[in-house]
Amino acid sequence: MTRYLRQAAVIARRDFLATVGTPAFIMFLLAPLFMLVFATVGGSGARMIADSGNQARRLVVIADAGYAERITAADRRIRGAFPVGVAPPRVDIRAPQGDIAIQARAVFSESTVDASAVLFGGPDAPRIQFAAGGRTGASYLLILAEDAARAADSGLEPGATLVSIQPEPIARVHATIGGRQSLGFTVLFVLFLLTLLLAGQTVSVLAEEKGNKVIEILAAAVPLEAVFLGKLIGLFGVALTFIAFWGTIAMLGFSQLPADAGAVSALRPAIGLGTFLGLAVIYFAMGYLLLGAVFLAVGAQANSMREIQMLSLPITFFQMGMFGLASAAAARPGSTLAMVAELFPFSSPFAMAARGASDPALWPHIAAIAWQLLWVAIVIAVGARWFRKGVLKSGPSFFRRIGAALHGKPV
Amino acid sequence: MTDQWALVATGLVKDFGSKRAVDGVDIRVPTGSIYGVLGPNGAGKTTTLRMLLGIIDPDSGHRELLGTTRPRTVSERVGYLPEERGLYSNMKTREAIAFMGALRGLPWAEGRKRAEVLLENAGLGHATRDKIKKLSKGMSQFVQLLGSIVHQPEFIVLDEPFSGLDPVNQGRLEKLILEQRDRGATVLFSTHIMAHAERLCDRLAIIAGGKLRYEGSVDEARATLPMQAHYTPRDNDPALAALLPADAVRENGSWRFPVPDSGMEAMLGTLLESGHGIAGLSIERPSLHDVFVALVGEKTVEEMEADLVREIAA
Repeated sequence: MTRYLRQAAVIARRDFLATVGTPAFIMFLLAPLFMLVFATVGGSGARMIADSGNQARRLVVIADAGYAERITAADRRIRGAFPVGVAPPRVDIRAPQGDIAIQARAVFSESTVDASAVLFGGPDAPRIQFAAGGRTGASYLLILAEDAARAADSGLEPGATLVSIQPEPIARVHATIGGRQSLGFTVLFVLFLLTLLLAGQTVSVLAEEKGNKVIEILAAAVPLEAVFLGKLIGLFGVALTFIAFWGTIAMLGFSQLPADAGAVSALRPAIGLGTFLGLAVIYFAMGYLLLGAVFLAVGAQANSMREIQMLSLPITFFQMGMFGLASAAAARPGSTLAMVAELFPFSSPFAMAARGASDPALWPHIAAIAWQLLWVAIVIAVGARWFRKGVLKSGPSFFRRIGAALHGKPV
Repeated sequence: MTDQWALVATGLVKDFGSKRAVDGVDIRVPTGSIYGVLGPNGAGKTTTLRMLLGIIDPDSGHRELLGTTRPRTVSERVGYLPEERGLYSNMKTREAIAFMGALRGLPWAEGRKRAEVLLENAGLGHATRDKIKKLSKGMSQFVQLLGSIVHQPEFIVLDEPFSGLDPVNQGRLEKLILEQRDRGATVLFSTHIMAHAERLCDRLAIIAGGKLRYEGSVDEARATLPMQAHYTPRDNDPALAALLPADAVRENGSWRFPVPDSGMEAMLGTLLESGHGIAGLSIERPSLHDVFVALVGEKTVEEMEADLVREIAA
């Protein structure tokens, strides 16, 4: 066994260094950063276009100074209730000039702004007109008019408020149910992305040896099962390097946030943050080894890059299927579907990682890890055997061996 | 099996689908000898070697390598140069050799040290830190060969080691094989070039069409054919043929025929009496080539020679 593991370590060392010690790995390592940069640049462009349109949008109020002051005060208070990005267009105050109805109609024809709704007529006979797409703006102007009227009826001076309350921020002791589910889904999604990115690499890993004929040297020197395990461990090392790099950056980023920041307070999984992160790493390892072993064995059956490309598609579908199953489980914790996802070996790591966000019990994780370890052993054993057949492309078939054994013939 | 035999294989059979690639091959390799497996392309040499090493299992038959019937358990005592050469192109020469040693249980540091010595001795010391992709085909082939012996194996298997090497490197390889034998290792190599086998091998197997045609020492192989006489008469009389053995073959102005069981004396007397005279006469042991031709047929040999010409041209 020691010899077997030592031989696997030689293969793992070669594969790890051959991958990590190349300029291409830097590109691979920084790939998420490039994606982020491109997304940011693209998003900024889209936002600039949207912002330039939003800046021209207006709600117009034609009112004398006193009424305008009440409307402005109401706008200042009510606008604060809207989240950033969905607030109503800016309110422009205009002084009445001549026929107010004509003035109001003329607002919609202005070339410098896009007025969507107009309030005019003063507090005694208020009127609101709106153009296409301006119904929401018109409703907002109605709220402003009602608030101004209530303030006037209460005898408040313009600018004064009816009630004076200072909102007090309170830190939650427990995360919300929705927050925990979101956290669970986020971890599930990250694990899925990582296995999609990293475990998928194992499909093509043998193409190098098949292409340069080194496979014959490996097959002669060490058991192909050791080659299989070595390659799996080598690429797992690459995956851990990737995660360590980005994990360190993420931890550094979080450590810079204030303790009461929203992002930090949301990170309160039911099982505890430290345990949750530890479990996430373990479940990533399980998911990687399970899926990576299958993909490595499947990839060994291919003889060319074209065949590997053809194999990659169903493999991606399979991964998407596991993600879908685990996502459905995360959305309905405790359901039958969740139990299926937690028990099915290939979706279990993802589903159980999500469960840690909303369920404080530790024992299901211990049981799940034991269950997954059993399947890792089974998949590696079966995968290595299949890998051997795929690499050598010779020897009696499995069924022929059984037949020969039944008839007492040598195989 | 005793220590006398490094390898004993009997009745090896291997089928690929409906095709029988190897059909009952027996091989016995004495410890410390150089053993050749001869045969034309497609004869089943590589499949036989792969079975002997445990890379693939035979469908039937028995094999015992270095005292075990499970060859893979002694892989650290075995060196192997496959027919299809392969190295990681981005590895440095010294690392590639150390890597192959590490696969066979040699510590990396020791492998690097030995690699430097081996490269220096092979005249490749200047390429120690070069990447494999920068080496010529012959050089990289030699690097792979050094990788197969860096762990100082007891049993070395070289599949068509001379293929693709220029005459200078073929000479180097012959020297290396002899050095390994002198070190105490057993060397088994396959080839379809008779001259190498004749010069190096103590014992050999001839395989054709998946079947074993001969197995034994080179001397015993030659002894399977009678001595060959080359006779050149003083005249060019066609009637001379009647005085020679029926299987005599005319080659330019000479005649070639097996020495009769009764000896040459009576025939020579008749030739002198009939006035044909003796312009030249030599009696030679049959070559390995002659044995090979007798075993596998002239047509197969012609095909092999054509392959060889193509290989040299390439």
